[in-house]
Amino acid sequence: MKTPITFLRQHSWAFAAALAAVLMAINLAVSPSFLSPDRLPTTLATLAPFVLVGFASTPAILSGGIDVSVGPLATFINCFFVAVLLPNGLGDWYAAIPLLLLMSAAIGTATGILVTVVRLHPVVASTGVLFVLIGLSITISKVPVSAPTNWSEGLAKAFGWLPGAIIPIGIATLAWIVLKRTAFVSNLLATGESDISAYGSGVNVTAVRTLAYTLGGLFAGVAGVALSALLQSSQSSLAYTYALLGLAAAVLGGTALGGGKGGLLGTFFGALVLYLLQQMLTALGVQSSLVQFAFGLVLVIGVLLGATLLASRPTRSRA
Amino acid sequence: MNDATYTDITRSLTTPLPPPTVWARIRRLALETPLIQVGILLVLVAVMVTLIPAFIERPIAAVSILTLAALLALAAMGQTLVVILGGLDLAIAGYITFGAMIAGNATSRLGWSAPFAFLVVVAVCGGVGALVGWLCHRYRVEPLVMTLGIGTVLTGGSMFLANGDYNGQPPQELKALAQLSGTTFGLPVPPVIFIVLALGVGLWVFLAKTPAGRRLYATGVNPRAAALTRIRTSVVWTLVFAASGVFAGIAGMFLAAFGSGWSISIGDPYLFSGLAAVLVGGTTFGSVRGGFTRTALGALILTVLSTIIISQGLSEAQTRIVYGLIILAVVSLYGRERRVRDRF
Repeated sequence: MKTPITFLRQHSWAFAAALAAVLMAINLAVSPSFLSPDRLPTTLATLAPFVLVGFASTPAILSGGIDVSVGPLATFINCFFVAVLLPNGLGDWYAAIPLLLLMSAAIGTATGILVTVVRLHPVVASTGVLFVLIGLSITISKVPVSAPTNWSEGLAKAFGWLPGAIIPIGIATLAWIVLKRTAFVSNLLATGESDISAYGSGVNVTAVRTLAYTLGGLFAGVAGVALSALLQSSQSSLAYTYALLGLAAAVLGGTALGGGKGGLLGTFFGALVLYLLQQMLTALGVQSSLVQFAFGLVLVIGVLLGATLLASRPTRSRA
Repeated sequence: MNDATYTDITRSLTTPLPPPTVWARIRRLALETPLIQVGILLVLVAVMVTLIPAFIERPIAAVSILTLAALLALAAMGQTLVVILGGLDLAIAGYITFGAMIAGNATSRLGWSAPFAFLVVVAVCGGVGALVGWLCHRYRVEPLVMTLGIGTVLTGGSMFLANGDYNGQPPQELKALAQLSGTTFGLPVPPVIFIVLALGVGLWVFLAKTPAGRRLYATGVNPRAAALTRIRTSVVWTLVFAASGVFAGIAGMFLAAFGSGWSISIGDPYLFSGLAAVLVGGTTFGSVRGGFTRTALGALILTVLSTIIISQGLSEAQTRIVYGLIILAVVSLYGRERRVRDRF
């Protein structure tokens, strides 16, 4: 018999989706204008960095590793765009976008090579890169630099009927859908599930893993652009927050640390849950300290539920 | 029967190995003892003394470096144990913030005595840590996510309890222990250095000389094998995470006393710098090569390094970059994982 519980067990994204639906209903009850067309562009623009940083941390986790440096990479790209490219006349979209994405993909690849070729523990490699990126961001912009009028403002508003923030999220999603039609994603999941078996089946584990980090870097670059669109200034101080937020979104979305299970759909709902929770508590007039408290609590409860009620296999103790 | 009739396997089991070459011996020594770290520290101290000659005239200036290193080592003490166990404790920042909040508000706002505040921090951080360890073990949750959530809960909780009041002062007794003007038995050295030293020696004895310490290493290297040798791994996990919470909470109290106050972001730098100290010291995830001696060396290396960098007119930001590079460099020297093809 197909009970709701079995459905939740078979689809790792379903729990986050259900939670997001409940929170959405509460949000609509508290402020009925929540989804009105006037507010939608701003809402989506605030949501976009959450979602994209979550996307960025997902491929590395799927490959059986972890990348804690994607959040700081997004803030670094934000600082680089606002404090370096814009003042130096390279801020036009046709120059800035390829430059930023190339750079973020290169940094992601470097982290990947540290993990696969130099064979550092993923936490160690990405912590090292995290320090370097935070240091570079603060060097570029110690105090927030505000951006002059530029093309990225459109991404936080609307192009006619289309909310601008749909574009970065859409591009990242499209990239993932295209990749899902290739062997890459199945090889990635196989590598994450068991790198030894994947290696034995002829998967180029090194290449697949490195590309996972490249993809994460690329998504982090898109997140950096979305962040710049939202803030219109360089904020190096957000690095630690986003480092933890991306992981939280991916894990809440049912992506298993240890690899092999999950995907971007779950991460999207995970980020949506975090965002809706924040909106709901703020709308209810709860103090910001308690919003943070609730963030942590939801993460802990979500993870525990995922490990007990919703686990596809019965849990065994570590023995 | 001559040697040739044996199979390769028999020969490898019966003929004695040739004595290790000098290079192999040095390699082994470098892996088993923190030789590289001591070398790096000596070089850095030499560089520092050359660049800042004031250290020769006034050796007492070294006290501030030692104090900073002691505080960093204390914050990284629990993380060392967790890393030996093969986990990662991201709640350190939360424990530190909670400890600092209690230190700041206990006497000046609530009228608690310093020892009572200390007990509260130990009980709360230890209790939360024990819960984290037990839950992670029981439900096979990655400690990384669990501690991430709990750390956020603790920081948010501390902010809520403080209710926007960040001006509380730590009690005088605590300040006397941690501030640079403190003295120990007449020596112009703050007692926190000796406290951390004593804790470090205690931890070394515990890890290297007691059965309980050996059980911790065994659980870290292979939890399954450890459980089969009748080690109660659930108890090990619970106690290690509880210890991590307690040490970080105490570190938070000392940090508030050292800086004469606290802020909400007091924990974040110490979470990542503490992890850096553990990694630079040479403790790797779930490995027998790890211990607090290494972390203390790591903390000294990082503190001396940042003193050098800042004395050269560079900023805090450049220190972070160098931290990142030194983690990557030191760990690639000793802590590399096995190839997939070797594990196949």
